[in-house]
Amino acid sequence: MVDGSRERCKTGIAGMDSILDGGIPRGNTVLITGSCGTGKTTLSLEFLVHGAIMGERSMYISVTEVPEKLLENMIDYEFFDKKLIDEKKLIFVDLQEIYVKLGLEKLEFTLEDINILVEQIVKMVKELGVERLVIDSITSICYRLTSKEEIREFILHLGKELSELGCTTLLVSELLPSAAGYSQYGVEEAIADGIILLGNLERRGDLLRTLQVIKMRGTTHSRAKYVMDLTSIGILIAPLLKGGSVEVT
Amino acid sequence: MGITSKVVSKLEELPPASSIAVNVNVNTYFDVLRALVDVFATRHDLYVFYISSTMPSKSIENLFEILGIDSSRVFFVDTISHLMRSTTELSDRFLYIESPTMLENIILKVEYLTRKYRDKKSIVILDSVNSLSIYNGTKILSEFLHIFVTSLRTWESYMVIVAMKEQNTPEIEAMLNLVCDEIYNATGGEE
Repeated sequence: MVDGSRERCKTGIAGMDSILDGGIPRGNTVLITGSCGTGKTTLSLEFLVHGAIMGERSMYISVTEVPEKLLENMIDYEFFDKKLIDEKKLIFVDLQEIYVKLGLEKLEFTLEDINILVEQIVKMVKELGVERLVIDSITSICYRLTSKEEIREFILHLGKELSELGCTTLLVSELLPSAAGYSQYGVEEAIADGIILLGNLERRGDLLRTLQVIKMRGTTHSRAKYVMDLTSIGILIAPLLKGGSVEVT
Repeated sequence: MGITSKVVSKLEELPPASSIAVNVNVNTYFDVLRALVDVFATRHDLYVFYISSTMPSKSIENLFEILGIDSSRVFFVDTISHLMRSTTELSDRFLYIESPTMLENIILKVEYLTRKYRDKKSIVILDSVNSLSIYNGTKILSEFLHIFVTSLRTWESYMVIVAMKEQNTPEIEAMLNLVCDEIYNATGGEE
């Protein structure tokens, strides 16, 4: 623990923990937001794998992709060891199966449905002793919610329960390239403890992947924009050079 | 003493993690590369991370072969092949960047190599600052070199920036003076 400050959950991603002054404050709910192809899932998976390697039970709740497909992509990572899954340090859950189990196979959720879903996620976190959780994506769940109030209630309720359990949570949020703000519904960003924005930056016709920590409660952090590379040894981060780039819209 | 020996001697005077700009001309270019890639790197058992922005990496490798330079310890970070649509090979020995304007990606590819191949120290060769200056303004290039050289120091790598003497502008010379520990003239005249 950094003197006088909250305990940190180290991401294990090269450069990221320095940007966050030691890591994500434990128990925070963080929005990982960006348009498609910006590296949201990769960053989230790396966060979980490093956690599992450090002995923290980590869980990935997949809404849009089947776990088998995600696992195929992870085999390319040199730091990934299949033993983490065999030993249940790293757990993959298909949300569709939970929907079936809970009888939530419907297009629109009521407030009661939301509470049932949150309670189920919290129950799994509690029973399995999960310390790191990723929900990919929160946007896909929010599609089934009919109002901003419901989205707000869902994220608030989930974040509060998980925080009380000391579980550090990444909520993957899909953003349209032309969107203003940091989330699709404009509610998620206000409730989350942290926002990590992934994007594309154009320099003379070439696209650079970028990463920026917009906010993170409980820590002082860099708010600068960084350039990111997705490699077989994990995500690498370098400072963005200041001259000559424009934001892609 | 020939150019190759002089360049090797100069590098051996420097402590590890030093940065040096070497001014070359068309007559001394290959002798300097032999000094860096073959003699110095072999003698000190270093990996060579070679940033090519003048010629495609495959062409450089072919030239090394013709010149009898052992390139087995060389890893290329190639900024030009994509732009020129040259033949590419996907392996750690040949890493490609879409364009010489993506300067941050040069830092990231070298960091990748440094982290992955950490059983030995390395010498990083930037060939050349003049060809990078064709695609990048002096301001962003200075910023890049400053950050890159500083990063390489923390990774304890040697940094050699190759500069074509006859193409150096006053701005490039000022930039090299600012970021490098030493400037060495390997042009065959007064060194």
